[in-house]
Amino acid sequence: MRWGMVIDLKKCIGCWNCVLTCKAEHFLPPGIFWCRVLISETGKYPLVTKHILPVRCNHCQEPKCVDVCPTGATQQREDGIVWVDPDKCMGCRYCMMACPYQSRVFYSDEQEYFPGQGLTPFEEVGKQLYPHTPGTVEKCNFCMERIDAGLAKGLKPGVDREATPACVINCLTKAMYFGDLDDPYSEVSELIKERKGKPLHAEYGTEPSIYYLE
Amino acid sequence: MIQTRPFEFMTRYTPQREWILGRGVLLWLAFFFIELGAGMLFVAALFNSLWGMFIGWLICLVLGGGLHLLYLGQPLRFYRAFLRPQTSWISRGMIFISLFAVLGILHMALVYWATSPLGLLIIIEIIAFLVTIYGGFAMSYVNGIPLWNTALLPVLYVVAGFWGGAELALGVALATGTLSQTGPGIEEIIRVLLAAFILIVAAYLVSVRYSSKAGEVSVREIVVGRWWALFWIVVVLLGVAFPLGVVSSAVVSGLETIPAVLLGLSIFFELLGDLSLRYLILRNGFYSPLTPISTVPSA
Repeated sequence: MRWGMVIDLKKCIGCWNCVLTCKAEHFLPPGIFWCRVLISETGKYPLVTKHILPVRCNHCQEPKCVDVCPTGATQQREDGIVWVDPDKCMGCRYCMMACPYQSRVFYSDEQEYFPGQGLTPFEEVGKQLYPHTPGTVEKCNFCMERIDAGLAKGLKPGVDREATPACVINCLTKAMYFGDLDDPYSEVSELIKERKGKPLHAEYGTEPSIYYLE
Repeated sequence: MIQTRPFEFMTRYTPQREWILGRGVLLWLAFFFIELGAGMLFVAALFNSLWGMFIGWLICLVLGGGLHLLYLGQPLRFYRAFLRPQTSWISRGMIFISLFAVLGILHMALVYWATSPLGLLIIIEIIAFLVTIYGGFAMSYVNGIPLWNTALLPVLYVVAGFWGGAELALGVALATGTLSQTGPGIEEIIRVLLAAFILIVAAYLVSVRYSSKAGEVSVREIVVGRWWALFWIVVVLLGVAFPLGVVSSAVVSGLETIPAVLLGLSIFFELLGDLSLRYLILRNGFYSPLTPISTVPSA
């Protein structure tokens, strides 16, 4: 089993809903983004093309970040999810250098969304439900808590909402798909096959688990 | 934390920042002092210079190691860095530095009592070499940054570390009044390292320039772009040309004929050039963009 994602760039409208959902789901502190939507424009008026690219950790099959981590904080599970154990990370940021997609972020110190005005009720709840450790590196974990809890209930990630990453189920245009890349009949595998899905920068040899459809 | 506009990050050739900006400056200095100290011990050990070895050992561990620790987000967890030597160059470096600390002090103690065996000298030289090279390997493993991802980088760092170490060892000889005994030998080593440094820097920049578009961007920024003055004035003119002039004078008329002030300046400029080159390499490590490169200027 290898969890993966497919993002249909023809459907994505760049609404940033995945970014906001991720922020809310993981109570991400100010300035910390586990997923982002990149916007670039090419050409000259009137022939301008706007490129929208939702990005997050690619959960590579051959993750450089796992190799370089000196403490074993960055780990790869059997289902392919690459995650960071905040209790083991010493904040050397070697994994950030090694990631060619720059999908990782360093959480340096505790910050408030409204500096000097104290924590909002949302931030206070977040500190209890999803604490973040200053001085460590963070990144997308494919909402592994949701996946694990869903699997424990007999649900199927990518099919059942409760077991699927928050960004996928909250995508307004249903541009994201989640599922098992090792299953040739899963929706993600079929989409990759039919529409010739491609990962980002395949030349790095990291074998990302996120594919894009154009 | 280095803030960024999240929708623009990685839409152009993007330089790495965590290892050079903000507290990343500490890591730049840490790598410099670790390699300089190990290089100095390496050269000083060849000449049995106890002061040289001791100063090199201190520079490597106190300045280099201390700055490394200060850089970490969770410095009290540094002991965990010993756990992954099978794949991580930082882990390997930690092990090399620890061996360097223990065996270095043992070797110096034995030299002090004039009984250090040749075997230990060979071992400490090998470990000093490994300490000098691990930073280069750690960086060259990063395949997202073409400026770093080259086999020439570890070689460059070793040569730079040994050259800086040899210059400092020469300074110690000058300060302790032993220049006439150890000076000519160290100066011969400097000659070789200086020539090697010039060749390797040239080969390094040319090879990276033609390796990829991101490599080209990096080299262009260093040589003719934003950092040209630091490269040409500090690295090339002061850091290479000035020591080259001093070495040439020593070859022609002998080391003893060179005024101490000139030797001191040569040592200082060499270290400054080395430090600046390392800054340029860290500062101009560009990643390739994830989207087609935007033709609209960043706001």
